[in-house]
Amino acid sequence: MRGPQTDSRKWPLRLSLRTRLLLAASVTLLVFIALCGAGLENAFRDSALTAQQERMQGLIYALLGAAEQDDRPHLTLSNDQLPEPRLRQPQSGLEAAVLDESGATLWQSPSAGHDLPVVIGPEVGHWKFERLGDANRFVLSFGLRWISDNKTPHRYTVLVLETPDAYEARLTVFRRTLWLWLLAAAAALLVVLALMQDLGLSPLRRLVAELRGIETGRQSHIGSLYPRELRPLTGALNALLRSERSHQQRYSNALGDLAHSLKTPLAVLRGLDSAPLSEDLRRQLQEQTGRMQQIVDHQLARAATAGPRPLGPLVLLRPAAEKVMTALKKVHADRGLQFELRIPAELQTRAAVGDLYELLGNPLDNAAKWAHSRVRLRAHQNSTTLILEFEDDGPGFPERAEQLLGRGVRADSRTPGQGLGLAAVAEIVRAYEGTLELDRSSELNGARIVLKIPHQAVTR
Amino acid sequence: MRVLVIEDDADLRAQVSHFFSDEGFVVDVAPDGEQGLYMATEYPLDLAVVDLGLPKTSGIDIIRQARKRGCAYPILILTARDGWENKVTGLEAGADDYLVKPFHKEELLARARALLRRSGGWTQSKLESGPVELDTAAKTVKLQGEPVELTAYEYRLLEYLLLHAGKVVSKSTLVEHLYAEDLERDSNVIEVFIRRLRIKLDPEDKLRPIETLRGQGYRWILPRK
Repeated sequence: MRGPQTDSRKWPLRLSLRTRLLLAASVTLLVFIALCGAGLENAFRDSALTAQQERMQGLIYALLGAAEQDDRPHLTLSNDQLPEPRLRQPQSGLEAAVLDESGATLWQSPSAGHDLPVVIGPEVGHWKFERLGDANRFVLSFGLRWISDNKTPHRYTVLVLETPDAYEARLTVFRRTLWLWLLAAAAALLVVLALMQDLGLSPLRRLVAELRGIETGRQSHIGSLYPRELRPLTGALNALLRSERSHQQRYSNALGDLAHSLKTPLAVLRGLDSAPLSEDLRRQLQEQTGRMQQIVDHQLARAATAGPRPLGPLVLLRPAAEKVMTALKKVHADRGLQFELRIPAELQTRAAVGDLYELLGNPLDNAAKWAHSRVRLRAHQNSTTLILEFEDDGPGFPERAEQLLGRGVRADSRTPGQGLGLAAVAEIVRAYEGTLELDRSSELNGARIVLKIPHQAVTR
Repeated sequence: MRVLVIEDDADLRAQVSHFFSDEGFVVDVAPDGEQGLYMATEYPLDLAVVDLGLPKTSGIDIIRQARKRGCAYPILILTARDGWENKVTGLEAGADDYLVKPFHKEELLARARALLRRSGGWTQSKLESGPVELDTAAKTVKLQGEPVELTAYEYRLLEYLLLHAGKVVSKSTLVEHLYAEDLERDSNVIEVFIRRLRIKLDPEDKLRPIETLRGQGYRWILPRK
């Protein structure tokens, strides 16, 4: 027996197609958005740094333009001629300085405090841009050689320093805007993806609905037109259904014909035992025809068992039971039997109709043959099993009742066919992975037959 | 009693036909559905034995048609298809009982007799009326507990009258149902048998179980037990 399939499967297989697609799309989208955001942010930071450097470079050129020589003679700047007003304001965040060869400060802007960082100047004619983490400043320095009026060359370093506040603020605004837009775009994309998936998966949903329709008997085949990719599947399913039905029909017809062509000559042979024969011949004839009948009956009953049919229609139990009871009432009309049927109107099963009639007919017939006056059939179901309970007020089963389930064994030769009927039921119950119990009815005091058919067998 | 046997297998048809004629039935046979349907609806029958798998017209159709046209006699299905779906379909169509092939002669005859009794309103295998007791299984007749010797013809006549107790049965009906194969269709023969029955069942002419209705026929008038 197979266990419940879903439990043994790994979790990705349990997810629906829709969830899988959405999950894959979300992960891809997130990775894409993250990489995209990081790239854009880097590019913006580079460009902001370059802009910062260029601005500071311009300032150095402007400072050099405004520089003059004092009498010592050294480079100096007059505060009145500073090119940038912020250089005059203390704590403005923008500072400038001129250093001599030894690194000593020759001049510094009024905005600069006493904590100018120590900077190692670049070679003459070179620029050096750096960010000093400790001092929390951008520093651009330029090395130059200045030939004074007395033709003595001097080496200087011009520095511009700026706090990164403005730069950071720009970066923060950019970052916020960037991620906000990226997230909005991702959300919109996900919604669009979900809608596209719905559109893409809708034929599959329709197909599932149609299969349910076939299972419940509302329709006989898959009728709608499907996209090109699914057409081979629906075509094959329809062909399968058609061939299964026609196969069933042909099979059942062939069995019927076989039964007819085997049993009619058998009936003739049976009839010969009333001809004038020697006792020995008559006994042999009876024995052999009896054996042939048992074999034919048993094999035909076995072959006629259709077994569970997952795509077969659901069959209501009560109408079938009522038909069998009406038929039996007619057959036993002169005995005044009281038939009692307790089956919920909505109770249904996916057993093949032929099997269902055997499951109901044989035990009911058995009960009717043996009952004094009462026959009862009760049926109900719980979450796992359909239970049929047949009772009568007859003499009950003999001691070794299980033998009745063997082929052709009869409880009593007065009532023919009992053994085979129950054996056929046992065969069908086995095909449905159910059980058959024979015991005594506590209420009616006669025989009791309980059939239990698990739903799993008929719905998988 | 007149029985129609519709069966396509020639051997089985002949056999069943013999079973019934040996029992004193008047037997009509049909080898296919078409002829069977004609006989089932046109002949004055007491019982029909119908095979379900027939050529031309199916057994089920014959039963439906016969019932539709008002034939009320009992019908026994013979079938090789022993599935309950088939049995239920046959009984729903109007049959009264079924017998699965192969069957014992005794079983067939017992079922046939039971159906005939039931159609006459009797539930026991012994038909008891007044001091007369007819055992359909043993084919014996007793009068006040004492066996009465009857010829086969006399027995058939008494059985028919008892099965139709209280009803008027015409001479021609009796001829058709009891003696059609054996005798010229001469209703005077019936009068002879009636007279003999009266003598054997009512030697002192006190009971007067069989009433003669001039121009109409006969009626068994003793009450059923």
